Amino acid sequence: MKNKTIQFKSGLLFAIMAVLSLSCTNLDLIVDDSLIAESTGEFSGVSDPASSLTNLYNSFGSNYGSNQERLYALSEVTSDEMVVPTRGTDWGDNGIWRTLHTHEWSAGHAFILQVWNDWNALAFSASQVIDARSNASAQQVAEAKLLRAFSMWYVLDNFGVVPVRGVDDGPEVSPMVLSNSEAYSYILDDIDAAIPGLPSVGPGSSTNKMSKAAAYFLKARVMLNAEVYGASADWAGVIAAVDAINPGFALAPAGKFFEMFSGVDSSERILFVANNDGSRKWSALHYSQGRPGNTGGGWNGFTTLSAFYDSFEGPANSNYLGDGQEERRGYVQTEASTNATNYGFGYGFLLGQIYGYGYDKDGNINTPKKALDARGGKKLIFTRELPGLLGNNDVTGIRPQKYSPASGAYVDNSLIVCRYADAYLMKAEAMKRSGDNATAMVNALRTIRGATPIGDVTLDNILAERGRELYGECVRRTDLVRFGKFSATWEFKDDTEEYKNVFPIPTNAILSNPNLVQNPGY
Amino acid sequence: MKNKLLKKLLLPFAMLLGSFMYAQSVTGTVSDESGPLPGVNVLVKGTTTGSVTDFDGNFEINAKTGDILVFSFIGYKSKEVVVSGTKVKVTLAEDAAQLNEIVVIGYGTTTVKDATGSVASVKSEDFNKGVIASPEQLIQGKTAGVQISQSSGAPGAGVSIRIRGTASIRSNNNPLFVVDGIPLAGDDTSSSGADIGFGSRAASNPLNFINPNDIESISVLKDASSTAIYGSRGANGVVIITTKTGKGVQGDSFEYSATTSTATAAKKYDVLGRDAFLGAVTQFGGDAALADAGFNTDWQDVILRTAISQNHNLAYSNSYENGSVRATFGYGKQNGIIRFSSLEKMTARINAEHRFFDDKLKVGFQSTFSNEFNKSPGLSGNAGFRGDLLGSAYSANPTWPNDPDYNTGAGLAVPTTLQKYVKGETNTERFLLNGYAEYKLTPELTAKVSLGLDKSNSETDLAGSGLARNIADDIFGAGRGYFGTIDATNQLLEATLSYNKDFGNSKIDAIVGYSFQDFQRTGKNVIARGYDTDVIGEMYTSLRETVGLIEGGITGSYQQYGFSGNNFFINRLFPTPSFQTLSVPSNLGVTSLFADTFDSTDEIQSYFARVNYTIANKYLFTATVRADGSSRFGGTNQYGYFPSGAFAWKINEEDFIGESFSTLKLRLSAGITGNQDGLGYGSYIRRQRYGGAGIDNGGNVNRPGLSDVSFANPDLKWEETSSYGVGLDFGFANDRLTGSIDVYRKETKDLLLSVPSAQPSPQPFFFQNLDATVLNQGIEFAINYGIIDQEDLAWDASFNISYNKNEVQNFAGQIEAGTIYGQGLSNAFAQILASGQPLFSYYLREFQGFDSDGQPIGDVQGFVGKSALPDINAGFSTSVSYKNWDLNAYFTGQFGAYVYSNTRNGFFTAGAIAGGRNVTPDVLTSGEAGNAEAAVSTRFLESGDFVRLQNLTLSYSFNLKEDAAFKMLNLSLTGQNLFVITPYSGLDPEVSSGPATGGLKNGIPTAGIDYVAYPNPRTITFGINAKF
Repeated sequence: MKNKTIQFKSGLLFAIMAVLSLSCTNLDLIVDDSLIAESTGEFSGVSDPASSLTNLYNSFGSNYGSNQERLYALSEVTSDEMVVPTRGTDWGDNGIWRTLHTHEWSAGHAFILQVWNDWNALAFSASQVIDARSNASAQQVAEAKLLRAFSMWYVLDNFGVVPVRGVDDGPEVSPMVLSNSEAYSYILDDIDAAIPGLPSVGPGSSTNKMSKAAAYFLKARVMLNAEVYGASADWAGVIAAVDAINPGFALAPAGKFFEMFSGVDSSERILFVANNDGSRKWSALHYSQGRPGNTGGGWNGFTTLSAFYDSFEGPANSNYLGDGQEERRGYVQTEASTNATNYGFGYGFLLGQIYGYGYDKDGNINTPKKALDARGGKKLIFTRELPGLLGNNDVTGIRPQKYSPASGAYVDNSLIVCRYADAYLMKAEAMKRSGDNATAMVNALRTIRGATPIGDVTLDNILAERGRELYGECVRRTDLVRFGKFSATWEFKDDTEEYKNVFPIPTNAILSNPNLVQNPGY
Repeated sequence: MKNKLLKKLLLPFAMLLGSFMYAQSVTGTVSDESGPLPGVNVLVKGTTTGSVTDFDGNFEINAKTGDILVFSFIGYKSKEVVVSGTKVKVTLAEDAAQLNEIVVIGYGTTTVKDATGSVASVKSEDFNKGVIASPEQLIQGKTAGVQISQSSGAPGAGVSIRIRGTASIRSNNNPLFVVDGIPLAGDDTSSSGADIGFGSRAASNPLNFINPNDIESISVLKDASSTAIYGSRGANGVVIITTKTGKGVQGDSFEYSATTSTATAAKKYDVLGRDAFLGAVTQFGGDAALADAGFNTDWQDVILRTAISQNHNLAYSNSYENGSVRATFGYGKQNGIIRFSSLEKMTARINAEHRFFDDKLKVGFQSTFSNEFNKSPGLSGNAGFRGDLLGSAYSANPTWPNDPDYNTGAGLAVPTTLQKYVKGETNTERFLLNGYAEYKLTPELTAKVSLGLDKSNSETDLAGSGLARNIADDIFGAGRGYFGTIDATNQLLEATLSYNKDFGNSKIDAIVGYSFQDFQRTGKNVIARGYDTDVIGEMYTSLRETVGLIEGGITGSYQQYGFSGNNFFINRLFPTPSFQTLSVPSNLGVTSLFADTFDSTDEIQSYFARVNYTIANKYLFTATVRADGSSRFGGTNQYGYFPSGAFAWKINEEDFIGESFSTLKLRLSAGITGNQDGLGYGSYIRRQRYGGAGIDNGGNVNRPGLSDVSFANPDLKWEETSSYGVGLDFGFANDRLTGSIDVYRKETKDLLLSVPSAQPSPQPFFFQNLDATVLNQGIEFAINYGIIDQEDLAWDASFNISYNKNEVQNFAGQIEAGTIYGQGLSNAFAQILASGQPLFSYYLREFQGFDSDGQPIGDVQGFVGKSALPDINAGFSTSVSYKNWDLNAYFTGQFGAYVYSNTRNGFFTAGAIAGGRNVTPDVLTSGEAGNAEAAVSTRFLESGDFVRLQNLTLSYSFNLKEDAAFKMLNLSLTGQNLFVITPYSGLDPEVSSGPATGGLKNGIPTAGIDYVAYPNPRTITFGINAKF
């Protein structure tokens, strides 16, 4: 018995020792579901440039158009073109939309922070693909460079400065900050470096990738705003860039204006993103405006200002089909024109009584054509005017509708980033600014769009023309700033502070990077 | 000099010799009911001559005839035996009162009298009764300084426990749970699912797997001196759950207990009925005729019910000569008061212990198996403007028909749609096994090795049928769903060596140990759209079959796959990152799908030691240190060191104190503990994975590319909490009146938080140790009094109250938190984390009424000096027993906390009725205009003070004859949540809603926000308990 005990005792001790020695671990990270480059985890190139590039495109698409907030809100709701009025309890959203329109935003504004984060993060990820250690192909590097140029330009345009971080820098490194003119040169250098490696692509279904045409478009855009960024103007450079765009791209023929925003191939579509157009479509529409694929209807937020609507040709108080308006103002379906193809959805600007149907779950129409009702027992009649930013009900205001649900509830690959008409007007503007006459160019466009020619085109005419042509395409704020009109007053906006031409650096960003200095005035 | 010394020494020696002539060697055996008892102290009364029994209960001592031997052992009544020969045989009886004094602490036990730290222990007989789904509810309101609140009335919902305040600023402030020696992982064991259109839901309580009937005691370790033995995981306190064993039971014994309960909603919202609603539509400028759909429906009646629940438990226990065994089986089905919500649970447990080699070796194991099946309809803590099932029931037009297919127009959903066409269920199996071998190397030295395995598998199905109208933008027609699994495996290896010796005037009790634990989590999340069926059950099957079909066809490892239209992709990480595009297999049950897998393992390796040293049974010292290494940190920060020390002085043992105090003990403690929960896997290193993807409203899935999931931060280290405490235990009149007062201060530094990265950066946030402090200071007071103690009548009362003050300090920044949901409330938030404010501080507009146009006055958001944290928590319990009757009552209370009624903000405003949604009557007379904005403001902030009769139990025990069929028979009637006294206008001030972790703004947890929280039921339970 005693021996057995001793044997057991030593056996147990041995077992404990064995277990202890076997189990002592150096606590290295066990990696089963992610990649770490080295045990140190430092940057040594992306593992798969093709996959990382896919991610850049995904981010580019969602930064540009995944919802009605972020860049879209900053570019449009701050302008004379759009407003998101608070409708009773709806769209109050803690004042986030009203402060954009009144230019009373603070450095803590959520969308301002999101835009800062979105585009800076994309610039960083692009830098990782560009880094030589990633061994990306020449075209992949060129695509990443152009994506970085786009990203940095959005940061520059919105904030006036651009922070940059080396791919090897850890969180302890505070990114250095490029001034506006430094960033301007950096971006142009990236574009120029990218061009040789980019494919030359004409109109078609593959213009959702970076191409030479997209690069020249961006180059024109950046150079057109050179003076805003503290650099000297180079109008010839703008014209040269527009002229370098693949000659396959051209203005779409008359009658095809809204077709460009339905996802079909178009001669004007230089760059589009793979996101779907749901937020552009439904953010303005009323809850009662449904269709197969979205019987729940719209979100009833975005509205245009009557002064902007009045800048188009056509009757002021009616925009029904056949009212004699220019093409870009679109039209509202009449009771007669409402059918099972358009479901009552019009284009452009919606005003007055709206018609439509009711649907069952399979998308079959289950009610006769009818004048739609709004909430709380009233008809769905969109009004011309808003009582204010607050105090609206669910039917006040004209609704902008560039992307129309007539073409589908949600259409993928239809969101346009760069359009030839924009490049065309950029060239016209550069000509005008460099002393040439842009009248013929502008009138050629107007004629195609069904508007009457202008006698002698001025810079103000060009700004207005850009508004009519490019509303809802995330460029209005940039245009107003360039023309020195962003500080003007318009409906529900009294603020005339020039310093608001750029947004404040977000509070969180300043806290995280001591190299950042708040923009003057904020 | 030498001579004198010699003489001095000789004199007593001679005297001793004199007595020695008559002294003899006395031998004997000490045993208890179940066998020999090792470690019993044997002392010759009036001398310092002592001995200890060996493994076989044998001892040898020098004593002479007529001497009195005193046998004493913890948990047993001392016995005195007069020496009358050379052999003594003694049987010690267990001392129930003293057993009650035993408190389980980390890696050992102590007694209430000998504890140096702040430890509260609740035994099974004092547990709360009624419908109890998880262990925390057993001790709700029982101990000072421990705030236990149920955030939801849903069956099996999570419970939040805060011990001595909230110390951390990320989610997961719950204490460490240790079940029979196994520290559990803090993560959820089941998936919270995905947002399929109307918000996400919180995961169920991971502790549901423990059958409350199996629990013997729950110890709450509150201060650093007692939690430091758990080092890096002790900062939020430790809750030790010990399950029942068969020890001390004679022969085969069976126990059966059953309860049946009915639960009803304790309160409903007083929304307008049909006529009042139509009148209100007119009042706000609408056309009542257009708003009238012709029916009269009480939507709360439609979704709520009187829920019947049942619970059965059968236990077998036995102890035999060399061991004991206890086996239990439990089954329960708890129905929720919201229709289609339920928790069905089956648990089985076997605890066994066997002694070998003359009891030197003790081998035992504790094992639990549980199966939990949770069902719920369309409920969510963060639904958008349409609301979830509850929100739509509060706001739905009462003239709508109770028809799930009814089209309301204008994009609003009928509650019945969310009730019938949106459902989810989760099945979780969990297996917890703990085996140990303990060997007494010498009477003083014991070695122990334990192995633990905690394994759980959980599967969650969610589906929104294509019949579900107006719930989200595109569920109708297409259908959306989710299927997810989480398999968690935690393994524990522990080895300890303990040393225990009584030197007469001093005692030492020491332990050193090694522990290794790993935590693996694998699983997947699958979202899908475009189902071939509209029947919920078939949708579950359809998705599972699609997943099976696709995974069966993929060779090699992959991180994710997905398809939409004709694009089918697989993203692989290993052996090299690559993707593959394939054609979509035919005949799949869904048209779009995205699946992402995860597999992470964390490890903790620890070394620990503790010494308790007692001098003269008056001065008690404890020193503890633990070194923890974690794979969540790299380089030199991998190990954290957590020391603590405590001193206790039993003043009542001092001569000068006299007889007035039966207990008077002063306790001092200080220590450092750590925390890493919520940090997540691999946060210090740069890692790449394929990003996430969604299925957009067009059914499109974009193939994700590789991106960085974390930003290398090799400087990450442990969050540390330094605590200091002073406590005083007192007792009068032979401890008929006892109590304690504790004062503490806890400073948490190096706070781990996901903070904004300086852009440009791969991720908007990264984990960092924040240079800030969270300070908790408080005072706790508890008192127990045996008011009447007679043979037929006993009356006890106990009361505890605690005050805690919380403040964030030295933090340079402000982080928005507390997302508010509802119509027109996107981007709204109600709380901000900032220096100089407590956690969960409200940041609101000061509401100053409505102007003459009915618009609210006050538009600047700011701190309002109120927080969701209570200043005071209190509990009062009393029990009266008269003959065979027992009556127990428990009250809990909370004061100083504020509740933000997001329900009112989101639904009960003039804008809501103007938009055709139902409201409460006060809205009609508030003066608010129908076109007024309802921004977050103090208008919706209310006091959350309450006093609740948590539990009232009346029970009757039958007098049974010796030869009766039952050894014990007891009937009971319990009421839970019988009444609440509160100024809060909502359903319950304690019930607050928290979105799933992914829905937290800036990753900051919220508290005190009531957004359509699942109502707390009022429950009546009838129970029977029999032993035979």
